[in-house]
Amino acid sequence: MSDKILDSGLRKRILSIIIFGFIGLVVFQLFKMQLMENFFYQEKSFENSVKKTLIPAPRGVFFDRNFNVIVSNKPAFSIEIIPSEYDHENTPIIENVMKVESGYISNVLDKNKRYSPFTPVKIKRNSDFGFLAWLQENKEYLDGIDYEIELQRDYSYGIKGSHIFGYTKELSPDQYRQLKSRYDMGDYIGHSGIEKVYEKLLRGTKGYSLSLVDSRQRTIGKYREGHEDVLPEKGNDLVLGIDADAQLVAEKLFEGKMGAMVAIEPKTGEIIAMVSSPQYDLSKLASVTSANYWDSLKTEPTKPLFNRATQSIYPPGSTYKMLAAIAALNEGVITEHSKINCPGGLQYGNRFFKCLHVHGSIDVVTALKKSCNTFFYQLILRLGLEKWAEYSKTFGFGSKTGIDITEEIAGIVPDSAYYDKVYGKNKWTRGYLISLGIGQGELSATPLQLAKYTALIANYGKSYKPHIVRGYIDENSGEFIKLNFDEISLSNISKKNFDLVKEALFKVVNEPGGTAGNIRMADIPISGKTGTVQNPFGEDHAVFIGYAPSDNPQIAVAVVVENVGYGSTHAAPIVKEVIKAYLQKDNASKSESLVKVNN
Amino acid sequence: MRIGAKLQDKVELGILLPSIALVIIGLLAIYSATINHPTAYGNFERQFYWFLLSVGVMVVVYFLPPQTFKFFSSPVYLISLLSLILVLVVGKTVYGSKSWLGIGSLGMQPSEFAKVGLILFLSYWLTRRTTDINTFKDLALALVIGFIPIALIMMQPDVGTAIVLGLITLFLIFWGGINLFGLFVVLSPGAVMFSSLFGTLPLIITLVIVLAILIYFKKDLFVSATVFVINIAAGFFFDYLYRVLQPHQQKRIETFLDPNADPLGAGYNALQAKVAIGSGGMFGKGFLEGNQTQLRFIPEQWTDFIYCVVGEEFGFLGSIIVILLFAVLFYRLFKLSISARDDYSKMVSMGILAILFIHFAINIGMNVGITPVIGLPLPFLSYGGSSLIVKMTLIGIALNIHKNRKFFD
Repeated sequence: MSDKILDSGLRKRILSIIIFGFIGLVVFQLFKMQLMENFFYQEKSFENSVKKTLIPAPRGVFFDRNFNVIVSNKPAFSIEIIPSEYDHENTPIIENVMKVESGYISNVLDKNKRYSPFTPVKIKRNSDFGFLAWLQENKEYLDGIDYEIELQRDYSYGIKGSHIFGYTKELSPDQYRQLKSRYDMGDYIGHSGIEKVYEKLLRGTKGYSLSLVDSRQRTIGKYREGHEDVLPEKGNDLVLGIDADAQLVAEKLFEGKMGAMVAIEPKTGEIIAMVSSPQYDLSKLASVTSANYWDSLKTEPTKPLFNRATQSIYPPGSTYKMLAAIAALNEGVITEHSKINCPGGLQYGNRFFKCLHVHGSIDVVTALKKSCNTFFYQLILRLGLEKWAEYSKTFGFGSKTGIDITEEIAGIVPDSAYYDKVYGKNKWTRGYLISLGIGQGELSATPLQLAKYTALIANYGKSYKPHIVRGYIDENSGEFIKLNFDEISLSNISKKNFDLVKEALFKVVNEPGGTAGNIRMADIPISGKTGTVQNPFGEDHAVFIGYAPSDNPQIAVAVVVENVGYGSTHAAPIVKEVIKAYLQKDNASKSESLVKVNN
Repeated sequence: MRIGAKLQDKVELGILLPSIALVIIGLLAIYSATINHPTAYGNFERQFYWFLLSVGVMVVVYFLPPQTFKFFSSPVYLISLLSLILVLVVGKTVYGSKSWLGIGSLGMQPSEFAKVGLILFLSYWLTRRTTDINTFKDLALALVIGFIPIALIMMQPDVGTAIVLGLITLFLIFWGGINLFGLFVVLSPGAVMFSSLFGTLPLIITLVIVLAILIYFKKDLFVSATVFVINIAAGFFFDYLYRVLQPHQQKRIETFLDPNADPLGAGYNALQAKVAIGSGGMFGKGFLEGNQTQLRFIPEQWTDFIYCVVGEEFGFLGSIIVILLFAVLFYRLFKLSISARDDYSKMVSMGILAILFIHFAINIGMNVGITPVIGLPLPFLSYGGSSLIVKMTLIGIALNIHKNRKFFD
């Protein structure tokens, strides 16, 4: 082997290049990582070890029209288990104290197995204080089980308002997919009533807290002593048109009855009270865990979840006679002096349409006051279906009012197109429309539509779209901000014609021979109209619409009570009590059960 | 400065001071990595006692007579081989390797001491008057001296230490004055092995290149054929080696070839190490303030990933200081390997440099993500008694060689 030996100088050079070349490489890499790419690695390191926990924002509360709190928030206690720390040997005793069936805890834990064992699992919401006390007493023996405070709706102010307020529900997977950008899994969202429609105002903005976690996601402590935590922002409080006193009285009067009531302030369209009966218990729904209660609501034959004030349609009966009267007067079919003879009914073809009495020859005001059917059988035959339907639609029948809850249907105003569709062209006769004159037949309307119609009559055809919420209190400025709603103006109907009808409605209550003399009050003049709707399935539905005070209407009310009989007996007294509660506000009569919060 | 110069004449401060400084930085980093740890919180104290003990050993070695090392070269080598055999029979298995000998409650790793045995004996062998590294026989014998402890350590199996011993052998043979052909003979099987990592085609291409170089050297047919057969064997040996490796070691090699293949598995440590160092920035997050370290994102950080603690908590500045201390140490050892009294001392100095540099390169390279993850401690800084005592013994030997550089017998 006689090749050239690497001389020692070359060897030294090669070795120094290897050693100090490598050191240079390391220095370059450190420079690149720690100085050039420092930001990137800092982000990574932050993501690694800082856990963000979202803090839910309190929803805005509800005030009534006098700024009394009617719905607020209260803390509720959820029981949580951290699977990695939990000792399963304690399960039987915990289940026993919680009063749940054996296997409940392992069942819930199994469902959440795909999450980290360091992530707390909620095993019960809205736990009772007995269990909390027991948990607290035995804390040292019970590893990995604890409670967490959440905010829940507080409905303890005396008003049920189930169909007004509605409820919130955990986001469904479908909703979550659509709302991903603004909501997180497990968030609550308004699901019905004004909770749903005003979700954006009520919701607020979630906050978060940053905590340090180790490589196994266990919390070690607060990140920077909580200096960078963001507090949640409460949602805006809503101010409702609801009057707590009137609402409470109405709810009490409807106990044990089925039906609905809507009261509107005619000048503004604000809803003063709204009841659909039977109601349901929102506080039971808020606790979520009560799946049984939910099921019972769904299967209950009286359908409590259904809003009878806006989703249930009834023929309005005699309360609809004013519509035909206004249309006929306004179209010049009759005048205030025109008289029609009532011999106790109307023979039309081979069918006899009866009246309750023999009224003789009467004018329109008397016909309304005495609720003569014959007069209106004749009137609608003279007016014709198309004109009648046109005026019905002018007053908003046959279409949704656009109230600020989504649970609403349109009702039916039959016209020739409708009859053509149902019976076929030329297969129906004018005889079909005779019953429409007295608000029966295919005509159907919601109690809300009736209340709106009453308000329009009371205020000479001027009002606003019916609405529950007047405005909100801006969370930042504390100012009350009024919401705007569409104006309604029936300018084609003359004031004189309204006055004629209003005179008749006053007489219904306040003159001898009127059909609702039973609700006359000395101090507050009420105007109104009774209705008794024939019901092929049972007792008649009692209907009453009215407003007060007669000369300067501040409240217009429509009441339907199902299957009880006469409107004057069963519906009119409710209207009277609601009007009384709303207009007679002295401190003594103010309901004691209503908790006032002044802040 | 006269006193300083006088002291420098007796003690090579350029070797002693960086070593001590590195151990102190290591102690700080171990303190930070273990102070909040549920099981390792005592490691700082233990390492501190190991430090005191190792300084004692270093002082003893420093005062040994100059001929001691040469005289004991063969016995030390033989004893280290025996202890490597012993560990295979009665050793304790830690992390899948049978590498620990228990003496009472103390444990030691014979493979650490085998490194010392290897450099002493190989230096002795290479610097014998009769040895000519450029003869086929002596080269082969030198390789055998290295191969015996490597084979024993591979049986534990501890691939990291085996690689270190292989590279030490290479360094010493190179420093011993090997010629180009010899270097080619030694290095080519490694190149073939490495290329086989990437598949059959690169392997064949490399073998063709080896063949071409062999023809260029125009050696006799027997020598050329032997070298070529060795190369082919190396190519297939890797396949065998790969199967001997633990699954986690196989994973590491795959991860290095494709770092994104398994970010949560084998790549996890490497990634977290980079995050720790990179997030340190210019001045670091502060002592005991590194969240990667304190929240234990890197398991057993006080051993192989101790440099991350420095990088995260002391930043670029701290990292560079550690690198500079090593650079000074390497430079002084390099000078010693040129200026020492005799060939044997020069060779031993190079051996010490080789051990320290190879550990440094593999460990730091893995921490900053430029070499694959191979479990080796960082000299002076990593927690571990055997490692620290061996490293300080090496420093003691180097100081001894420096002290006796003008001594002639």
